[in-house]
Formats: sequence, C-alpha cells, structure tokens
Amino acid sequence: MTTTTTTTVVDLDRELDGIVAGDPDAFGRWVAGAEAPLRATLRPMAAQVDCEAVLQEALLRVWQVAARCRRDERPNALLRLGVRIARNLAIDELRRARRVSVQEAGELEAAMARDAASREGVAGVMVDPLLRAAIEECRKALPGKPAVALTARLESAGGDADAVLASRVKMRLNTFLQNVGRARKLIAECLRRRGVDVMELIG
Amino acid sequence: MTREEEELVEAAAGAWRPRDPRDGRVRAHPAWLDLGEQGRVRAFEEGGRMRRLEAAVDPEGLSATGRAVVERVRRGGRKR
Repeated sequence: MTTTTTTTVVDLDRELDGIVAGDPDAFGRWVAGAEAPLRATLRPMAAQVDCEAVLQEALLRVWQVAARCRRDERPNALLRLGVRIARNLAIDELRRARRVSVQEAGELEAAMARDAASREGVAGVMVDPLLRAAIEECRKALPGKPAVALTARLESAGGDADAVLASRVKMRLNTFLQNVGRARKLIAECLRRRGVDVMELIG
Repeated sequence: MTREEEELVEAAAGAWRPRDPRDGRVRAHPAWLDLGEQGRVRAFEEGGRMRRLEAAVDPEGLSATGRAVVERVRRGGRKR
C-alpha cells in the first residue's frame, strides 16, 4: 500500500473573520492547521519547557487576542502571531523556572526564531484517506488491554488525567501507561508492515 | 531507560495538562517535571507523533491537543 501525507501551503487566515466573530468551529479549523507548525517551533525548547503545556496555552491566547491580528501582504498572519505568542511563553517559562542561563535562553530564543522563519507559510497537511484507513485498521487489530487504554486516551482527547482514565478502565496507572505505550508501538509496527512511513507519521 | 522513566515519558506524551487553579493557565505535566532532559525530548517527540496520529483519524483533523483547547473555548473557559 502506498500512503502519503501531502504538505500544502494554506492560508489559515481564511478562518480569521470567523474566529474574531467568536466562532469556535472556525477556531477549530484554524487549530487543525496551526498546531503542527506551532509545535515544531517549540522543538528547540523540548528539554527545558513542557512544550505541550506551552502550546495549549499559546492556542488559548490566540483565541483571546485574535481580534488584534492584522492581515498583511503575507499569508498566515494569525499563525505568525501564534508563533510569537508560543515563543514568548516558552521564554517566560524558562526565565521563571531559571532552568538555563541568560545566555542559553538567548541562544534558544534565536534557534526558535530561525526555525519559525523557515516554516512560515507551511500550514496544511492533507492526510491520505488510505493512510487514515490503515491507521484505523491497525487500531482495530490491537489486542485487548492496549486497545482499551488507547481508546480511553483517544476518547478523552486530553480532557482527563491518566489516573482518571486508568480508574475508568479499571487498570492501575502504571499498567495503563504501559498499555498505551504498547498500543503505540503495535500500531507503528502494523503501519510499517503496510508500507507506511511511520517515522514520518508516528515513528 | 528504566520502566519508571518509560511510564513518565508515556504520561508526559499525552495531551492532558493540569491547570493553575489561580489563573486557569495550562501547567506542565507532573510527569514531565520528573523527567531528565533525554526523557523530556523523547516525550516531545512521542507526543508530536501521537498528535499527528490522532489528527489523522479525527473527522475534523484535530489532535487531542486541538480537541482539548477547542473544547475549553466552547465551554467559555477563556473569556476575551
């Protein structure tokens, strides 16, 4: 099977008017395109700040300040604003926690700025329907406990702590986490057997 | 990596994050705080891959991160 993800240049500012008007659906469509480039921008800080937390906080702040975003001659003005917000939050967190020296913080800031500049304008990833089907089939092929743990995670969609999910599916927390990890590895192996570039997707 | 570290990575690679009860800000995962640099980078990589997988099978293309944030906005968790 040949499956691909196609990266396309998309101007997510097409959602800006809806977001400014307070439409969460428009914001959801923007987030679907903006999350990956924003996450990638934070990569140089991965050892120093919890990028998942910074990313979520940055997305929430984009929602709050979107009305101040001004379009210019380039695409993705709101994404560029989001990148600045995410970088500033990460730097603030670094300074607050004093995990690195002032010089190191400056170097990390510069690395993020270089990375952000190189990614500007790349915002949309089209997922091949065959890939989606392959992932679903691999998920359905998971054995009992890994399937239960992964499904709990997916259905919760970041809404519940793992301790809550583990209790819900009647597992101890460490067993739950081991099963999530096992599920991820089994899906990666399953996709590899189907010829999917798992390093590209889930590794 | 020890089994305990593997579990910390798995926990930190998830999308759930606690909120500060004082101001509602999204805070670091407790498991992330217990990890060393190598484990933190691994949690970042694993988390990113999981988010891509989640988004790939989601009808609206949203990962668990996206769902968590949009759900919070829908519930009015962040006022303008």
